Amino acid sequence: MEKEKQLKKIALYINKMPSLPTSVTKVVEICNNPNTSPADLNKVISIDPVLMGNVMKLINSAYYGLSQQVTSLVRAIIMLGINTVKNLALSTAIMENLSSKQNFQALNMEGFWRHSLCVGVTAKLIAKHIKVDTKTLESYFIAGLLHDIGKIPLNHQFTEEYITAVGFSDREKAPLYQGETAAIGLNHAEAGQLVAHAWKLGAEIKDAIIYHHSIENYEGDNKLIVYAVAAANYFSNYSEIGFSGDRFPEKPPEFLMEKLSVDMDWFDDIEDTVNEEIEKARIFLKIAK
Amino acid sequence: MKIKFWGVRGSIPCPGPDTVEYGGNTACIELRTGDDNRIIIVDAGSGIRPLGDSIVKNDLKNGPLKIDIFITHTHWDHIMGFPFFTPIYIPGTEINIYGPVTYEDEGLDRIIGDQLRYRYFPVKQSELSASINYHPLKERTLDLGDGLFVTTKYLNHPILCLGYRFEYKARSFCTAYDTEPFLNLFPTDPSDPGYDETAAEEGEKVAREENEKLLQFFKGADLLVYDSQYTKKEYEASRKGWGHTNFEFALNSAHKAKVKKLLFFHHDPLRTDTELTDLVARYKKKIMGKTALVVDAAREGMEVIL
Repeated sequence: MEKEKQLKKIALYINKMPSLPTSVTKVVEICNNPNTSPADLNKVISIDPVLMGNVMKLINSAYYGLSQQVTSLVRAIIMLGINTVKNLALSTAIMENLSSKQNFQALNMEGFWRHSLCVGVTAKLIAKHIKVDTKTLESYFIAGLLHDIGKIPLNHQFTEEYITAVGFSDREKAPLYQGETAAIGLNHAEAGQLVAHAWKLGAEIKDAIIYHHSIENYEGDNKLIVYAVAAANYFSNYSEIGFSGDRFPEKPPEFLMEKLSVDMDWFDDIEDTVNEEIEKARIFLKIAK
Repeated sequence: MKIKFWGVRGSIPCPGPDTVEYGGNTACIELRTGDDNRIIIVDAGSGIRPLGDSIVKNDLKNGPLKIDIFITHTHWDHIMGFPFFTPIYIPGTEINIYGPVTYEDEGLDRIIGDQLRYRYFPVKQSELSASINYHPLKERTLDLGDGLFVTTKYLNHPILCLGYRFEYKARSFCTAYDTEPFLNLFPTDPSDPGYDETAAEEGEKVAREENEKLLQFFKGADLLVYDSQYTKKEYEASRKGWGHTNFEFALNSAHKAKVKKLLFFHHDPLRTDTELTDLVARYKKKIMGKTALVVDAAREGMEVIL
């Protein structure tokens, strides 16, 4: 009963949460498809005024000086080519949602964002390493980027409880999701599930959000992406790239690393690449804002 | 302004008996200005190797080298000669490299300089003796000092690509390669499932306007070096969207923009000397008496003084 009340409170917030313009998955699908036509791209971007505005802003700051502003997407596609505009739209659609939030009280936004990005970049590198179909690479990135999205509504609706949750996991040396459940009766995977539903995220991304702390319970069809996100999350917490409140992450089950053919040495090797990618995205964000 | 061609070919170097006359090196143009014989280079295709040797032989004795290189775009045929440009190994040399970069890509230093990595080449960029500075460019006008100005213009190529217009003492030298006429990419047939009236109309307007802007860009130029990789027939048969112009379009545009001299450039690697000579003769004949425009095909070693 208590939990239902909490879930309702979260749902209320999610309804007001600046939703991803069109669903992220639609933009991703269109932008990842090599056969996407200029007309498709134009349509998916222009149905949402916020996304449209941000894409135009980015196009103008990245490619034009003040003297010549490009004001129509059709013009941008004809001038810069479909690939450039696709990439800009893809990054904008995903980033704007994570970057526009103010600081949480319990978590530092910069750290949270860095952690999210680290998990996204790492999950994608794992996907490359295990040679998944290249068409799905971007889904790994997005799943990683959004895996902790449930922390946003939790922090806003239960600010004080969240501080207690962080305190709990520090004191008990326990993973944060346990602290959340103890303090709020609800953890970020459960809250994330509601966000995923509201945003109509694809099944593979949704599964990664729900199961990244409980992979042993996962029996669905998207094992690789769920595992990749879980491993990337552990790596990010362990290497302290960014900070999402998890000072004492659980060591993932043995089989995880085996299934992904990685080990800690492999993670050591990719650390520089991960940091470089995060830096690139950070610069991107500054411009996108 | 003195202009000399060191590489005129597109896509890939193509030495051999069929390319002796026009040359097989990829894009590289030398521009000299002023009494101090200032060195400007457009593109670092394979033609930049002999140019580098010539600079070392003739200019080094006058003191440390200062060189500005303008890259039209970073496709390989336009940067591949850079590791073989001897001045980069000479201490005291100062090189400024300008060029456009697609936003998500690495910087110019990585894109161009990373050709000097052990996996590709026996010398690393960090081991070079010259001081090299990279400057990303957008559309704008730059004052290069000593009365030399350069204006840039985005062209239509699958990667971000700039045309350059150099102006010095009321003379102008313009490059417009690699580029294809701007096209409306949106379906204009109402029965097409992707048809959208607004986009179709806007697309028509944009293509027209952008082509017009390009004309304005090289309007009245004393010399225009224009992409003409294909003939109109080749272009329409199977080369649309590849990012290159055809002879006929180049010729018409140059005439409309009242350009004084047009040089066809970025010759297709398959184009033989005989074919090129025949094509040029044919176009010269076609325009005879109809325009003041002077036309030729750029060839290695050709010099133009403006």
